[in-house]
Amino acid sequence: MPSPRPINAMAHPLSEAPSILQRLQRVPWLVILISLILSAIGVGALYSAAAGSWTPWAGQHLIRIGIGLVLMVIVASIPIWYYRKIAPLGWVAALLILASLEFIGGGIGVKRWLYIGGFNLQPSEPAKLAVIMLLAAYFHTINPELLRSIRVYIPAAIIAIIPFAQVLLQPDLGTSVMLLGSGAAVIFVAGMPLWMILGVFGLLVLAAPVIWSFLYDYQKDRILIFLNPGADQLGAGYQITQSKIALGSGGIFGKGYLQGSQSRLNYLPEKQTDFVFTMIGEEFGYFGALFILGLYIIMVTLLLRLSLMLNYRFSRLLVTGIATMMFLYVFVNVAMVTGMIPVVGAPLPMISYGGTALLTVFIAMGLVISAVIYDQDGAD
Amino acid sequence: MITRAMKLYETKLKRRSLILGGLQGTLAMGLAARLYFLQVEEGRQYQKLSDRNKYDFRIIPPSRGRIKDIAGRLLAGNAEAYELSITPQYIHNLKETLVQLSMLIDLTDDEIKAFIEEANASPSFLPIPIRADLTQREVARIAVRSPELPGVNFERVEKRIYPQGILGGHLTGYVNRATADEVETGVITRELANLSTGKSGVEKAFERQLRGYPGRERILVNAVGRPIRTAVDERPKSGADLNLTINMDDQLFAIETLKKGQKKPLSLTSPRVKRTLETDDELAKILADGQSTAFEDEKGRVVPPETGSVVVLDIKTGEVKTLVSSPTFDPNLFSGRLSSRDWNMLMENPRTPLLDRSLSGQYSPGSTFKMVVALAALEAGVINEKTSFHCEGHRTVGNQDFHCWLKDGHGQVNVLNAIEQSCDVFFYEIGLKVGIKRIAEMARKLGLGEKTGISIPGEKQGLIPSKDWKMATHGRSWTLGETVNASIGQGYVLTTPLQLAVMTARLANGKQAITPRLTTSELGGQDFEPLDISPAALKVIQRSMRRVMNGPKGTARRSDLSDIGVPMAGKTGTVQVRAISKAEREEGVIDNMDRQWKFRDHALFVSYAPYDNPRYAIAVVVEHGGGGSSTAAPIASAVMRKLLKESG
Repeated sequence: MPSPRPINAMAHPLSEAPSILQRLQRVPWLVILISLILSAIGVGALYSAAAGSWTPWAGQHLIRIGIGLVLMVIVASIPIWYYRKIAPLGWVAALLILASLEFIGGGIGVKRWLYIGGFNLQPSEPAKLAVIMLLAAYFHTINPELLRSIRVYIPAAIIAIIPFAQVLLQPDLGTSVMLLGSGAAVIFVAGMPLWMILGVFGLLVLAAPVIWSFLYDYQKDRILIFLNPGADQLGAGYQITQSKIALGSGGIFGKGYLQGSQSRLNYLPEKQTDFVFTMIGEEFGYFGALFILGLYIIMVTLLLRLSLMLNYRFSRLLVTGIATMMFLYVFVNVAMVTGMIPVVGAPLPMISYGGTALLTVFIAMGLVISAVIYDQDGAD
Repeated sequence: MITRAMKLYETKLKRRSLILGGLQGTLAMGLAARLYFLQVEEGRQYQKLSDRNKYDFRIIPPSRGRIKDIAGRLLAGNAEAYELSITPQYIHNLKETLVQLSMLIDLTDDEIKAFIEEANASPSFLPIPIRADLTQREVARIAVRSPELPGVNFERVEKRIYPQGILGGHLTGYVNRATADEVETGVITRELANLSTGKSGVEKAFERQLRGYPGRERILVNAVGRPIRTAVDERPKSGADLNLTINMDDQLFAIETLKKGQKKPLSLTSPRVKRTLETDDELAKILADGQSTAFEDEKGRVVPPETGSVVVLDIKTGEVKTLVSSPTFDPNLFSGRLSSRDWNMLMENPRTPLLDRSLSGQYSPGSTFKMVVALAALEAGVINEKTSFHCEGHRTVGNQDFHCWLKDGHGQVNVLNAIEQSCDVFFYEIGLKVGIKRIAEMARKLGLGEKTGISIPGEKQGLIPSKDWKMATHGRSWTLGETVNASIGQGYVLTTPLQLAVMTARLANGKQAITPRLTTSELGGQDFEPLDISPAALKVIQRSMRRVMNGPKGTARRSDLSDIGVPMAGKTGTVQVRAISKAEREEGVIDNMDRQWKFRDHALFVSYAPYDNPRYAIAVVVEHGGGGSSTAAPIASAVMRKLLKESG
C-alpha cells in the first residue's frame, strides 16, 4: 500500500503554473461582493444603533473592514499549500494564546480578550480557523481506506477538543460550540463512518449531565431561562423577551431606518453586537431580516459549491469548514435572538461590532480565495 | 485500484458535502420560519408590547367642580396637596427608607409591610404612593432630609376641602377614593379608579357633573423608566361648578338656633362644665367633636346642644333654603385619611352625627299630621267648617280609651278650634269618619309616605299606613284603634322633616305639588304637578293654621312674628316616644323634662309665612326636645324672622 498522497496529484498531473491574470479570473468575486454588502449593511446598522451617529461604532467598523480587506488580500496571495504546512504551528500558537488568557486575559467576569497594541483581540475567533485548518491538513494526509479505523479519529478529536475545552472554560459557550461544530463538519465531510457518528452522538447524550456540571452558573441560568423564558421577565429573561418584542413589533415591513423604538430607547441590550440582527429586524421588518438571512445563505451555498469544485483535498475540507463556520455564526446568532436557543453570546459575522470576528471572517475569505486560485497548481 | 478507491472517496466527499449543505439549508429554513412566526404571525401582539414599552399612558385627573351656596360662598373646593411617593429603583434599601420615613410621618409597621409587598409586585420604576395629603409641616420635614432620601418624591395633587367644615356636613357630603364596588357597578371607570368619588350628600348626588372628564398624556419612557418627553393627547375638562339654593348665612343661623333651643349657652372652659364632663360620660362623648358647646337647661343642668333638623323651602319654587341636621360631622375628616380617633369620636357619639336627620330621620308627625286628616275629611264632605264635636278629654273606641292631651277636654270644637288648640278627640272623631284610606290618599297628595325626590341620596320615604300594608307586613287586619292613632299622627305614621316641609309648602302654595330643589341648575321650568285639593278646603286649613299663631288659645301664639308685620301660619306637634301607662296617668305624668332624655317627647313645628302672601315653609324637629310649642315653634319663628327680615 502506497503512502498517503494528495488526491489531486493523481487526478491532475503537473501542469504549467497559470498567469496572474488567469488566477484573478478564478477569484470568487460573488462571494467577495456579498461579504462587502454585508459589511456595508453592518456599517449602516451600527450607524443606526448609535441613534444616527458614526461614533462610536460605525466609523470604527468601516476602518476595520478596510484592515480586513488588506488582510484578506495578503492571505489570498499566499499559495494554499503553505497554509497546510503551517497548520500545526497555527494550532499550537492558538492553544498557547488561549492558555495565556488565563493569566493576562481580560473581560467582565470572563477571560476572553487579549489587549495588544490598543486592540481587544478575542483569540477564540481565529482559534476556530486554526482548528479547521489543522483538521483539514490532517485528513488531507489520511488514506481514505483508513477512514474506517477508529484510530484515525483520535488525533482529530484531540485537535478539536483541547481548544474547545479552553474556550468553554473561558467561559464562552457560544464560540466553543461553534468551534466544535465547524471541526465536526470537517470530520464529517472527510468521511467519518456513520456508525461512528451515531456513537459520538450517543456519548454526547450520556455526557450531557457531566457537561452540565462543568457549566458556570450564568450559563446554566441562560439555559434554564431558555427553557422557561417568561419566568424572569425583568431579570435574566429580559434580553430575550425584549429581543422578541423588538423583532415582532417590526412586523412585515419594519418601523423604518433609525425608527426602532426598542433599540432607540435602550430596551434592547447589546444592540451593536449580539443583538444587531434584532435591531435590523425591528427597523426593516420580516423582509429586511429575510434579506440579510438570504445573503448569508447564498454566501454559504457558494462556499459549499466552491468546495465541491476544488481538487486539492486540504482546500476542500478547509472551505467546507469555513462555510460551516460562517453558517454556524449566523445560525447561532439568529436562533439566539429569536429565542430558539439560549443566549450564548455569538456575533453576526461582518455586521456585529467586534474586530476579531470581522478580521477572522476576512482572513477566512483570504484562505478561500487562495484555495481557489491556487487549486490547479498541484504544487505538493 | 487506487484510482477506483479515490473515485469512491471522491463520491463520498461530494455526498457528505451535499448532506452538510442540506442540513444547513434545513436549519436556515427553520430560522426563516421562526422569523415569520415572530414578525408576521405574532407581529401585532408584539407591536402592542412595544408600544407599552415606549409609552407610559397616564390619565390627567380633571379638577373637581366646586360647590357654592347661592351667594357664591365656597362649600367644597380644591386645595393643593402633596402626595408622597417612593420609586423603588432609586432606593438601595426600601425597608430602611420606609423606616426612616416613619420617623417623619406616621407610618405603621403594617403599612410599611404593605408598601414593600406592593413594591415587589410592580416594576421598580413605578412610583408607589405613600401618603396622599401631607401637611405643610410634614412636607417641610421631609424636604429638609431629601438628600438622604433618594427616590422619595412629592407630587402636587388636588385635595378636596370643605371651607365651611362642619356647617357643610351632610349637605355637601364628602369624597374619598373610589371603591372597588364603584368600579364594578360602573360609577367610575377602571382607569379613573385613582380618583375620588362623592360618597354622600351633594358630592354623591352630582358626582357626574362634578367629576369632569380626564385628560390623557403619553410619556415616552426609556428602558429604565425615565421620562424622555411628554405629549398631552387630551386636556382634562374640569367638572362643572354647582350652586346650591341654600344660603350658608341662613343655614348657620338655623343650626345655631336649633342647637340652642330654649337653653342658655355655657362656656366649655367654665369649671361647672368641666366638672360635669368628668362625671357625665355621655355628655363628654357628645361634646367630643370639639365644635359643640354646652348649655344650661331650664332646670339648671349642664346639657348638650339640641338634636334635630330644620328644613326651609321656598313654597313657590321648591328651593331648599336651609337643610339642617344636627349634630353633624366635618366632611374634611373624610376626604383624607380618616383617623381612627376621629372615627371613634363619631361612632361613640350617642346622638349619631352621621345620620342626616333632615331626610333620613323618620319621626311620627304627631299633631302636625292633623291638617292632613282635616283636609281629607273636608274634601270627603264628612265635615264642613262648622261641624263640631264634643271633647271631654278622651274617646272610647271599642274597649280602648283614647286620651286628649288636655285631660279635662276642649268642650265643643270645630275644625278651626281643633287645629288651633290641637284637640285630639276632634281628630279621633273625624279620623273614624273619613277612614284610613282617604287619610292616606291626602297624605300622599301632600308629599308624605314617598320620597320627595331631593337630589341628595339616602332619603327615606317615611310611612303612611294602609289596610293592605298592615296585612302585608303584620299579617293582621287594620283596627279602628289604629285609625284613631293615625288621626293624630302617631302609631305607624312616619315622616321626615323634609317631607313635613314639603307638606307645609304645598298647603301654603295651594296649587302646585312643589318638590324640593337643591341646586340652581335644577330650577327653571316650573314643571310641578297640580296639587288637586279643593281651594275652599285648603282655605279652611290655612285659616286654622293662622289661628295656631294668633288665636286666643293658639298653641304657638307666643311665636308669631306680628311684631315685624309677618303673620305666620303653623302647627305644633308633640310626639310621645313611649306609651303612657294607666298607672302613670293616674298618678300624674312625670314632667317631660324630668324623664331620661331618650324618653322625652319629640318637639315638632311646621309653619309658613307670611300668611297672606306665603314665601317660605319650615319644618322643625327637635328630638326629645319637649313640647312643639315651647321648643320647636320658637326656633322656626327665629329662622323665619331672619329669612323674611333679610329679603324685606
